[in-house]
Amino acid sequence: MERTFSKIKHIKKLFETKQVSCTELTSEYLDRIEEENKVLNAYIRITGEEALQTAKKVDEKIARGESLMPLEGIPMSLKDNISTNGIETTCGSNILKGYVPIYDATVWNILKNQNAVLLGKTNMDEFAMGSSCETSCFGGALNPHDTRHVAGGSSGGAASSVAGNIAVYGLGSDTGGSVRQPASFCGLVGLKPTYGTVSRYGLIAYASSLDQIGPIASCVEDAACIYDSISVYDSNDATSRGSRSKTSDKLDRSIKGMKIGVAKEFFDGIREDIKKSIEKAIKVYEDLGAEIVYFNMPQIKNVLPVYYIIACAEASSNLGRYDGIRYGYKSELYSDVNDMICKTRSEGFGKEVQRRIMLGTYVLSAGYYDAYYKKAQKLRGSIIRAFKSAFESCDVLLAPTVPTTAFELNFTSKDPIETYLTDICTVSANIAGLPALSIPCGFDDKGLPIGMQLIADSFEDAKILNAAYQYEQQMNGEIYKHCNGGEII
Amino acid sequence: MVTREDILKIAKLSKLSVDENEIEQITKDMSEIIGFADTINSAVEDEDVEFDDINDIVNAFHEDVVVDSYDREEILKNRSGGENGYFMIKRRKVK
Repeated sequence: MERTFSKIKHIKKLFETKQVSCTELTSEYLDRIEEENKVLNAYIRITGEEALQTAKKVDEKIARGESLMPLEGIPMSLKDNISTNGIETTCGSNILKGYVPIYDATVWNILKNQNAVLLGKTNMDEFAMGSSCETSCFGGALNPHDTRHVAGGSSGGAASSVAGNIAVYGLGSDTGGSVRQPASFCGLVGLKPTYGTVSRYGLIAYASSLDQIGPIASCVEDAACIYDSISVYDSNDATSRGSRSKTSDKLDRSIKGMKIGVAKEFFDGIREDIKKSIEKAIKVYEDLGAEIVYFNMPQIKNVLPVYYIIACAEASSNLGRYDGIRYGYKSELYSDVNDMICKTRSEGFGKEVQRRIMLGTYVLSAGYYDAYYKKAQKLRGSIIRAFKSAFESCDVLLAPTVPTTAFELNFTSKDPIETYLTDICTVSANIAGLPALSIPCGFDDKGLPIGMQLIADSFEDAKILNAAYQYEQQMNGEIYKHCNGGEII
Repeated sequence: MVTREDILKIAKLSKLSVDENEIEQITKDMSEIIGFADTINSAVEDEDVEFDDINDIVNAFHEDVVVDSYDREEILKNRSGGENGYFMIKRRKVK
């Protein structure tokens, strides 16, 4: 089906020149959601009434001739682990079914104040634990390029909503690649910002030292615009720093002389066609005047076990709050309080979540703490140091986003380790708190998108957005052709 | 090597009840995952590196000022059962 994807800037122009009203546009999106979501399962809750109310406000502002804020009136989606006051927020889990937050996450508060039009809450792997969206208690979100394939995870619903053109952009969260991997699978741009630049207040925690909220958009310019709006210091998040500067006004900068690092270890075990696509992208960067620096980073081989040990340890603690007493699902039949808590958790959490809680408990338990958790934290220090050293001689690093293209359905039900291994290229940025972005760079023989990843030093989010934008411009839309089934204007 | 006893102990610490029929599969899965995690024990970390924080983030303390908070009844709406501002856990026997 031929579709037209509209950039945020284009939509704003349509509003300002009164070619389309915000209400008309919102209704069009809601109509499309009604049709497409039956197949894609991108949304698990649609907030049509609220969306139309906001759209009306925006139209009144336009009628009064007032200027619009950057994301005002743009129809968008929020991952279901981002708290929304008065709107059920489930994290894709049975244990939180019926939970209605009484406050807004800071990111949503910022967007709400800009009159962003929330179309609904998007599907996700349960508690963001998964790479295919299939651990969701609502069933997985499908890939709009080919619905026999998953949209990716854990922010699969967010990616499916944007690639399916049933949201202009979506906010997801990235603990080990959960924004970048689904963006790669769905031919989109996904940004995991520097840890601390976007407030985590109101994001339901998975692994607090790794979690970061980020945008999934159909082009780099939109991702930069969203990042600029949401990267604000927030006193409600003790790790908040805010961003150093705006990124959207730096996209046009020439990257002549930019040093792009390529660590060989990122390419171990990567599918051949994906390697070839990335090599082509490297060539494009050379044509743009960038200098390619090849180097070794042996620490990469440790990143996966380090990530899973730390993430699960933090999860085992963060998910201790689900006890059936204060909110969420509560088991009906029990003999005492302890039995009630155990039954509530076993009936409410899915298998993968229980597995990760148990792994986290194991690595933190007496006798195993030093061998696993403490050792992993030390290695985390070594990995951070290796990246810092790489950024002494490079401006950005280039790597694949995922070793494969979108998995076929039911991938997750297979061997858990096999699933974990697919996170090999994305987890390092979370371990080291670095900004990383995935941008499409080609297609496999089935027509499924291939993504490449750009990583920069902390608080250098502008550099990867700049490098990605220059690549996108040079490719002149080539990377998006048949990628989203249409063109982007 | 993870044993059946290990699984029962971890489940208890995790406040999860493990179905008798599933213990064997869980033990197998956990053994594989712990085997995978074990690979870090052959890795060499930088001797003088201690991980304490990322991006030099330190504790951000703020003044202990009393501010308006949420309405108690509003907060309690999310609980299952309970009344008069209390949570309620019934003493029940499993049928």
